[in-house]
Amino acid sequence: MAEKLEPAKVLYCGVCSLPAEYCEFGPDFGRCKPWLIENAPDLYPDLLKEANEKGADKVSDQLQSVGISSGGADGAQSSAQTGGTSKKEEVKRLPGGKLKKKERQEVIIEKVVRNKRKCITIVKGLELFGIKLSDASKKLGKKFATGASVVKGPTEKEQIDVQGDIIYDIVEFITDTWPDVPERSIFFIEDGKKVQAG
Amino acid sequence: MFKKFCLEEISSQNQVKASVQRRIRQSIHDEYPGLETVVEDLLPKKSPLIVVKCPNHLTLVVVNSVPLFFCIRDGPYMPTLRLLHQYPNIMKRFQVDRGAIKFVLSGANIMCPGLTSPGGVLDEEVEAERPVAIYAEGKQHALAIGFTKMSAKDIKSINKGIGVDTMHYLNDGLWKMERLD
Repeated sequence: MAEKLEPAKVLYCGVCSLPAEYCEFGPDFGRCKPWLIENAPDLYPDLLKEANEKGADKVSDQLQSVGISSGGADGAQSSAQTGGTSKKEEVKRLPGGKLKKKERQEVIIEKVVRNKRKCITIVKGLELFGIKLSDASKKLGKKFATGASVVKGPTEKEQIDVQGDIIYDIVEFITDTWPDVPERSIFFIEDGKKVQAG
Repeated sequence: MFKKFCLEEISSQNQVKASVQRRIRQSIHDEYPGLETVVEDLLPKKSPLIVVKCPNHLTLVVVNSVPLFFCIRDGPYMPTLRLLHQYPNIMKRFQVDRGAIKFVLSGANIMCPGLTSPGGVLDEEVEAERPVAIYAEGKQHALAIGFTKMSAKDIKSINKGIGVDTMHYLNDGLWKMERLD
């Protein structure tokens, strides 16, 4: 029997989870850099050099500023830096490095007729207000005494289907139960056109 | 293959019966003789082996909630990249040139010229329709797992079009799913 293979240890980047050597091709090399400098300095010798130069620049900058207006400028600089980092984290990223577009918060209500005399009311977009769809569907079902279910709609988005035509007072119900949802962000779809409710 | 892949895509996961486990273990054993000594550690007989089925005829073999192997239809079982990184010598190796890395990491299939150029290396023994590990010029670790479309000799002589289908690559959906609960 051959000697037992030992699992090899691979260094994975703590930021983007790729093996460290592939960080440069990863989704966000810029953010990996500090981690790489700390944990895998030998993989990217250029990076280290760059960082050193930058560091040197900063030090000299600071020295200058201290020389000009002792102390005060220093504090301002550090506060500006922290502000910058927190802003960066806010931006969520999709795979591929594209920025995520913030979706407009609106609830769209649509009536679909089936079997000529029966219809379904579809409510889309409640999740954008931080409402749990399963809870919402339960509440809707209870209020209107009909079946209400969470369904995967087109384009993989979840929506609530409620049996029956409840358009007449769903708006009131939504604004009453979830005060977060303003009336002006509720829309009906009538003849393929978006119409504001209320 | 795994460009978009998340927990929602799982259609069923079962702990499979012993005979199926034996079959899976046997086929992995046959496919990767290099793993012979560690198969027992990877797929311990005691801990339950879970087979996760996903759309597109995709099956994952999961042990202790870590995905280890995947296969498509009745194709050969292929290790996930994390596993391959630990045991780099179990698969035949292809190497692509540096220019191709970017594309492979965004999920492109591997074109013949990327393998035949000076930065690329071909293992001449590889037949068509075999799993291979894709390495990159100047890098130590594999960056993708592929399924050859033509034999290595053909890749060399035709030198055009898709040579290897990329199945699983770094930072795709399966890679991000480190653990599966």
